Amino acid sequence: MLEALDLQFTILLLSNGVMIGLMYSLIALGFVLVYKATDAVNFAQGEFVMIAGFVAVGALTVAGIPLWLSILAALVAMVGFGFALERVMLRKLIGRPIIAVVMATIGLAAILRGLGPFGIFQGTRPLPLPLRDEPFILGPLFIPPIQLLGGIVSLVFLAGFGYFFLKSRKGVAMRAVADNQQVAMAMGIDVERYFGLAWAMTGVVSALGGVLWGNMLGVDVNLALVGFKVFPVVILGGLDSIPGAIIGGLIVGLVENLAAGYIDPYVGGGTKDFAPYVLMILALMIRPYGIFGKRIIERV
Amino acid sequence: MALYPLPIAKYTVAALGVLFFLVLPLSLHEYYLSIANLVWISIIGALGLNILVGYTGQVSIGHGAFMSVGAYTAANFATRLDFPWPVNLLLGGLMAAAIGAIVGIPSLRIKGLYLAIATLAGQLIIEWTINHVTFISGGVQASIEVPRPQLGTVVLNTHREMYFFLLFFVVVAIVGTMNLMRSRVGRAFVAIRDQDIAAEIIGINIFRYKLLAFAISSFYAGVTGVLYTYYFGIANYEQFQIGVSIDYLAMIIIGGLGSVLGSIFGAAFVTLLPIGIRYGMEAVSGVLFSEATVHNLIPALRLTLFGALIIVFLVLEPEGLNRLWRNIRSYFRVWPFAY
Amino acid sequence: MRKSLIALIAIVVAMAPVMPASAGHEIVIGLQCDRTGATQIVGTVLCPGFHDYIALVNSKGGVEGHKIKALEIDHEYKVPPGVEAYERHKKEGAVTMAIYGTPHIYALAAKLTEDRIPGTSPGFGSAAAADGIKYPYIFPIAATYWSQGAAAVDFVKKQLGGNLKGKKIAYLFFDNPAGREPIEVIEDIAAKEGFQLKTFAVPPPGVEMGAQVLDIAQRFRADFVIAHLFGGAPGVSIKEFKRVGYPLRKVVSFVWGAAEANIEAGGGFAAAEGYYAMQFAGVGKDYPVLNEIREMYKKQGKPEPKEMASTVFYNRGVLIAALHVEAIRNAVKDKKDGKITGEDAKKGFEKISNFTLGGLVPPLKVTPQDHEGGGLVQIWQVKGGKFEKVTDWYAAYQDVVAKHIKDHGAKK
Repeated sequence: MLEALDLQFTILLLSNGVMIGLMYSLIALGFVLVYKATDAVNFAQGEFVMIAGFVAVGALTVAGIPLWLSILAALVAMVGFGFALERVMLRKLIGRPIIAVVMATIGLAAILRGLGPFGIFQGTRPLPLPLRDEPFILGPLFIPPIQLLGGIVSLVFLAGFGYFFLKSRKGVAMRAVADNQQVAMAMGIDVERYFGLAWAMTGVVSALGGVLWGNMLGVDVNLALVGFKVFPVVILGGLDSIPGAIIGGLIVGLVENLAAGYIDPYVGGGTKDFAPYVLMILALMIRPYGIFGKRIIERV
Repeated sequence: MALYPLPIAKYTVAALGVLFFLVLPLSLHEYYLSIANLVWISIIGALGLNILVGYTGQVSIGHGAFMSVGAYTAANFATRLDFPWPVNLLLGGLMAAAIGAIVGIPSLRIKGLYLAIATLAGQLIIEWTINHVTFISGGVQASIEVPRPQLGTVVLNTHREMYFFLLFFVVVAIVGTMNLMRSRVGRAFVAIRDQDIAAEIIGINIFRYKLLAFAISSFYAGVTGVLYTYYFGIANYEQFQIGVSIDYLAMIIIGGLGSVLGSIFGAAFVTLLPIGIRYGMEAVSGVLFSEATVHNLIPALRLTLFGALIIVFLVLEPEGLNRLWRNIRSYFRVWPFAY
Repeated sequence: MRKSLIALIAIVVAMAPVMPASAGHEIVIGLQCDRTGATQIVGTVLCPGFHDYIALVNSKGGVEGHKIKALEIDHEYKVPPGVEAYERHKKEGAVTMAIYGTPHIYALAAKLTEDRIPGTSPGFGSAAAADGIKYPYIFPIAATYWSQGAAAVDFVKKQLGGNLKGKKIAYLFFDNPAGREPIEVIEDIAAKEGFQLKTFAVPPPGVEMGAQVLDIAQRFRADFVIAHLFGGAPGVSIKEFKRVGYPLRKVVSFVWGAAEANIEAGGGFAAAEGYYAMQFAGVGKDYPVLNEIREMYKKQGKPEPKEMASTVFYNRGVLIAALHVEAIRNAVKDKKDGKITGEDAKKGFEKISNFTLGGLVPPLKVTPQDHEGGGLVQIWQVKGGKFEKVTDWYAAYQDVVAKHIKDHGAKK
């Protein structure tokens, strides 16, 4: 089947994988930020993206305000949501086993989906961005504008958060909190404030994810399904690593596309969403802390 | 330890036995028995998951997939080889145990969140395999019809007959779990949960016992899957997807981790809550809202309330319904004194 | 402690079963619905359509003077609540069951037959259930996935000039049992017509299908695409086809990728210009029965419900309700007192013939042998901001479909 390995097609698959992978990274970034700063895991990441999409589309179509203001509204709403959530729910779960936080966020996901039959949460709406659908053609590459934008946003956030954690005072404090809450408290850091900040940062990333993915998928309850893409990405990259989220996203994007292009035809089924999970299991056995993750996984 | 530490316990057990084996099944309408049957099946599944999560301290988001392994194993043996149901039940459980032990292998190296996601991967991989291997799934529709179970010459097809059939397994599962937890194996599980390194030092083979916990837990799941299959008359993996795994986790967390009674309470609560909410809403909401609104309101409120209750339990009563029940009991035991 | 006790008592009191008053001579239809689960996009529109039609029938005095009551229970697309809903409906005396969801119709198949209550699975469920002898109490009452596949190939054939020899057709499908079901039928037709068929799986959750669409457009270079996707995936497919520059007028979608919601998700009607969508109920607002429903709302001084704007799902709800009522009407003809049983309703379904509701319902002919009623569909196209009818009701390759139904029945 060598003729199937058509070079042009392979290049297209790879570029597609890179682009979509960066879109996954954006979602995974929200997950990693919270884990890095608070040791909590957010199984409602997809629902975060969904409500951000609903807020943006609601502002745009129901309230009729301009696009940039709608996106701003989504940002503000999600930051507020992140702060509020930390305050009401997650602060009470600090120090509890991981499964408690997992279940709490699953409960949260149920609440958010339960809002479905009401008001702006009902039905499917497009979220048009001033981008054309036709791809940019660069030599052999077709690059869809929305994915290019998604990739750029992901990379900007990577750089931004990377700088924040490494250089800024707040970022250093946040790393200290993540490292050891008690010592951080003893050093006079207001731990709870930084937890709130971490959730608010996740809100920012989710808001942009909601707008970009909302444009790709249309805004309805199915938007939450992008949350499923997070797990292989964060495990491969490392749960607490921001560059890991990018690398993990790229790996998943590439593996998915190559699997769809070169494995599916032989097995007659969709291996696309399955291949990253297989890879993930292998990665867990070989390098359980991910490619960039901190090496503090307890060996047993 | 004896079954009856106090005389009152003896009467309680006897009274419960009479209630569940005679009074309820012979007096209730078939509809209520059908609900009871759903509760019975989920109790077995919840007990199994609690052995793994509550007693051994491992995490699994793949319980639903193990049910489908049991379901398809039993359905294949039932239709291809015409095996009787007791054999299929056992084989379904054993196959699920074997697959469960394999999915549990990553637990030897990872724990907590990483393990949770590894078992999630296990769930998706099992679903994928069943969907694509027609040898297992019996065709592209991935559903295999099975005959109703028979006891001698009696075919069990009414809910009343199924009630006794399922309740029998519930009792076996409860007694089995309680005994397991009093055995060397059960104590090893608890030791691993509480402090795995210490457990290893005192000579517990962590490798063996962790896999054993996965296997036993999955055995229960497999049996649950087989019972669903016989109850519905069909094996179909779309009945055991990721949402089911999450529902069972909710059961044991709401009920109480590491407790048999908690598993029972949790299974009953999660199964009955939506039904209860609907009845409540039907009674009151018609007065307040138009019919069209009510139709949207009931399901939305049910899901929202379900999510909210999970969170409320986690925040306010981490030990779940089991703890609540103990509090109530001790409250009335010393009543009217404060303690 | 006291607080939690009070809370617990409050919960118990709130949950105490309150029985609604008994139904009198009402004829009860059990309606399952999903307004909160995986398919809520469909359920939140389809089920109001169902209720509105029932309300319309009742406002005109019911069926031969007997009121109809559609008792809706939402099951969140989960099976155990669906089973509970069925039992509740049975207890309330439902004579027909509008089942919702493929796993649910599978889980309830045995019960329906044992209890002798007809259940419908329009546009989903098992295609083999069209066989009324093997599955006496299951009524697909709309084109099954096999018939949809056959009709899709026939449509493609007409679009490609009446000959498929040597043509390339891509089948883009959601990788679950429902998505895989039609493959065997399409493969048979491919052998017969001499076209090259290639399948492209979209695994759940289906939020991205760049590689598959790229393959269809760039490597396989399909002459036409038959798409069978669910949930958000149809919208994604529209976007992806546009991105790789594949013309949407060479794509025909099965019935669950054919609604306004899918087009909106795909970027709106302007973006999806040309896309072909298969329907088992009429599309649009222009049917006498819909005017009557609007009239009914007007009389009550209410605006028309917002769900009516999503005509594809809404009209399907009306269609399902109408077929149930028609079956009951046929049954009541023989039992004027209205005290019909599930068996009567089954026979009522099997007498449905030429009941078209002004074009919203296809001219089905349900018989004791054929519970599908002919496998009729229409193709509509996105054109100028709305759906436009391209074909009238038709079915195709029914010999191939019949062969598969027969083979499946023999295996059982």
